[in-house]
Amino acid sequence: MDGGKVTVGRMAALYAGAAVLRLAIFTLLPDLPDLLTGRVEISTPVTSFKRLQEGLFLYNHNVSPYDGGVYHQAPLFLPLFSLLPNALSYPIFTYLLYIAIDLLSAGALWKIADSGEAGSSALFTSPRRERRWSGFVIAAIFLFNPFTIATCLGRSTSVFTTCAILRAIAKAVSGAPFSAMVALSFASYLSMYPLLLLPPLLLLCFDRQRPERANKSAVSFATIHVPVVFGVLGLLFGMSYLITGSWEFLPSTYGVQLTLSDLTPNVGLWWYFFIEMFDSFRSFFLAVFWLHLSCYVGGLSVRIRRQPLVVLTLLLGIFAIFKPYPSISDTSLFLAMVPLYRHVFPVMRYSFVIAAVIMYASFLGPAFYYLWIYAGSGNANFFYAITLVWGLGQSLLVCDLMFAVLRDEWELERPEMAGKEIRQI
Amino acid sequence: MPRLLSSALALRRDPRILKIPPYLSLLCILVGAVWLFLLPLNEYSRRTYISENALLPGQVHTYFGGSDQNVFRAYKQEVNSLVGKSNVEINDKLESIVKGLGLKTARQNFTYNAAGRTYAGENLYAILQAPRGDATEAIVLVAAWENAKHEVNKNGIPLVLTLARYFKRWSLWSKDIIILLSPDSIAGPQAWVDAYHDAHDSSRVASLPIKSGALQGAIAIDYVQEHRFKSVHIVYDGVNGQLPNLDLINSVVNIAGGQMGMGVALQEMWNHNDKYPDRLRTMLRGMLKQGLGLASGPHSSFIPYHVDAVTLQPFGEGWQDEMAMGRVVEGTFRSLNNLLEHLHQSFFFYLLMHRERFVSIGTYLPSAMLVAANFTIMAIFLWMKSGQPEEVPAASTPESSDKDTAAPTAERNLLLPLAVVTLSGSLSAIPLYIFNHVPESALTPSFYFFLVINTLLPIAISIVSTQLFTPTLQQFHLIKSFSLLLLGMFLSSLATLNFSLAMLIGLLSAPLSFVKPYSSPVARIVGFIILNLTSPPAVLLASAAVWGLNVGDILREAAVAWHVTGTYSAVVVWCVWWPAWLAGCVCVLGKPIHQEGKVKKA
Repeated sequence: MDGGKVTVGRMAALYAGAAVLRLAIFTLLPDLPDLLTGRVEISTPVTSFKRLQEGLFLYNHNVSPYDGGVYHQAPLFLPLFSLLPNALSYPIFTYLLYIAIDLLSAGALWKIADSGEAGSSALFTSPRRERRWSGFVIAAIFLFNPFTIATCLGRSTSVFTTCAILRAIAKAVSGAPFSAMVALSFASYLSMYPLLLLPPLLLLCFDRQRPERANKSAVSFATIHVPVVFGVLGLLFGMSYLITGSWEFLPSTYGVQLTLSDLTPNVGLWWYFFIEMFDSFRSFFLAVFWLHLSCYVGGLSVRIRRQPLVVLTLLLGIFAIFKPYPSISDTSLFLAMVPLYRHVFPVMRYSFVIAAVIMYASFLGPAFYYLWIYAGSGNANFFYAITLVWGLGQSLLVCDLMFAVLRDEWELERPEMAGKEIRQI
Repeated sequence: MPRLLSSALALRRDPRILKIPPYLSLLCILVGAVWLFLLPLNEYSRRTYISENALLPGQVHTYFGGSDQNVFRAYKQEVNSLVGKSNVEINDKLESIVKGLGLKTARQNFTYNAAGRTYAGENLYAILQAPRGDATEAIVLVAAWENAKHEVNKNGIPLVLTLARYFKRWSLWSKDIIILLSPDSIAGPQAWVDAYHDAHDSSRVASLPIKSGALQGAIAIDYVQEHRFKSVHIVYDGVNGQLPNLDLINSVVNIAGGQMGMGVALQEMWNHNDKYPDRLRTMLRGMLKQGLGLASGPHSSFIPYHVDAVTLQPFGEGWQDEMAMGRVVEGTFRSLNNLLEHLHQSFFFYLLMHRERFVSIGTYLPSAMLVAANFTIMAIFLWMKSGQPEEVPAASTPESSDKDTAAPTAERNLLLPLAVVTLSGSLSAIPLYIFNHVPESALTPSFYFFLVINTLLPIAISIVSTQLFTPTLQQFHLIKSFSLLLLGMFLSSLATLNFSLAMLIGLLSAPLSFVKPYSSPVARIVGFIILNLTSPPAVLLASAAVWGLNVGDILREAAVAWHVTGTYSAVVVWCVWWPAWLAGCVCVLGKPIHQEGKVKKA
């Protein structure tokens, strides 16, 4: 590890570099943010900045922001953004806010990386843990990932969720379970799906408790901390109620995610499926899709109990594929966590294929969307086919990472098998 | 299935498998190229047919003629007296004529700056409101004062005026008819269409004061020749290689060829015998135009807005007069007038090889995809090769020497290859910017200057990287792998948007798949020379020599296309092809740190 001073200097340089890059794009290419805001790959109905503007306009004119059925985001965004000067006349303040959020996320990621939790958790220490990247590299990979930059430029509100999730994990690894729970409730309040991260996050908090005030019983630990989440959530709901004056926001924000009532295309797998479906099957398949999304939580938490951070990473990858309104922002969060597992990269088998598939999909996706929407010479199947490839690339990465982590655990038990080819018998 | 997968996984370590990919990728290129030459055969191409039944081309009587001939002569007299006058004076006169017909008129100013020149002018347009319509749809009749070769459209303008007068008398129009008289063939229509769809930059292009409904189709008349003509030449290439719906071309072919009994030509093939060589030539000319992506006439600007449009040019010595040309336009407008919905039935992706013969995307796309796939195959091959442990452990990278895992794949050192590929990618912004922003007079000097720099740059990068980082053979494999992966990815995406451009670039950069770091200095120099002969500037120079054009003119046209019509071919050349070429050159010049014998083996 470097000395404190050097780290601070490097941190400042990295953050300044990332902020300057974003500001430069914002100022030199003033049309780009609005172009990206309109892209379906970046803005989903539940995170779009354009829809936020609409909600904000209604809110500032004392009309319920959920009238008109365009705005599906959490009510607390409204007072936050109405504090800022108008995004059209003074966009710089909005830009600065989004840049700050990205830097906060990077800071959290840096802490997670420097904790070394990825290589050696409370119950498992990887033999390969020496080979890892420092927090600087990991934060840099996150900040200079084109997906992260595009999300920041597109001003999708999912960056707030990303930041809250990363903060929650950072708090958990640094032994502050209470703050971790509060951060997770913020993430859940904003996007709902992070609530599914609660079990592995609890395990992570439990494993990383400070020894001086450690709670030895997992059950009592959970009974203390789970109510914190629901308490904070209740508080946030109460504030939302006070702001909007009705409980209307619940069906308009979480209800939309649960029932997929807005079928705007996105990079996920739900929209096409539910467009094609007969209405009588809709509720059944909604239940199946949600059940599918949530069933990974229990299984992974049990199977990879010894490394809860792995469970969180894999779940973030699974959510980026299978949640109702995914965007490249979710992928950028997953890709931010993956480099923490630098030590198992040599065991991964398809890294090149994964990189190639994800890159192919990210270029063919906009091309096919263009053919469908603008040129009129393609149709919806073109774009959907590419979102399938995109999902395939990510699920390959999830599977390969899981394989590598499990193999790493297994080689500790069976040292004689290290380096041998895997064969199914 | 799992067993199959695991045996496939075991197979990938087999040394024999690793010998195949270079041959496979060569095969891909050859099959891709041969495929293209099979397309004109009867077995692979199809006869054209009208898909949209509502069009009913050639089913109506056309009545244009008779006394309209006298009207035409009168208008021609007026137009001839305007030749040589300024844009505003011409528009004043034309506007008074069109107003006299009882149409609503309006004007629009536009200014474009490109290559140090200003392209400014004023469009005049008029709207004939449909007696049976509700102004939700419109079709456009365009005549530019000057055609793309800067000849005055002496017959086209009077013909459009006469047709406007004639159309006004009929009560059967269900779509508005817009008459657009632009001062030139490229910038004027572009400014007008942009403004019509509110996609214009209002600091340079004025907004339109009056508008009609959604544009359903456009016909441009480019009628320069003074004597009677034989046939009609249909120009159909849009900006960036986009094409109008095949039904529109078929309708014109049907009306002009079938109903009027005049010939129809495509792609400047004035005499077409419908045999293999002529079909191939037509197709290749079409592909070249599509690949360049330039605007070829007033119709080109309409196509990106999903408005199907063609330009009609009478040509040859024959007995057809202006009235026959007018009847072709009348017949086409009657067909377009019948449309119940936008043209969508027929093909948007096709290659025409005769007026009644075409291939559709399903038949021709595999050839470009195969060429693009060759790069991906080589990229995967090089990635696997870079993962093989090298024979002498001492020469391997420091990281792969740790013994506790003894993994079958060597640790790859990714940082330098990624840096080289990123560097070559970001350098590409420089030529793109220079050639699009330098004034016309400086274009030729800066091109030759760039040619020299372009030759020296790979040498410089190679020397610097060898001195500073002492790259290994593995790193050169990775550089090549990444750059080919990117190239293959861009080209396969591009093939769906502009097939011809992807095919052209793919074939021109095919040598990049097969060059590698050579051990002997002679081979290295030969490889470098071969690459330099296929570099983007060298190809530009060679094509200028072949067509007898001036490099400066080509670059000016490209800059104008970039600024006015938004042609993205320059981006593809500089940001896709050139970085891959640069990375390839760095690989050829690289001297990996090994004994001579080992490099040869690899």
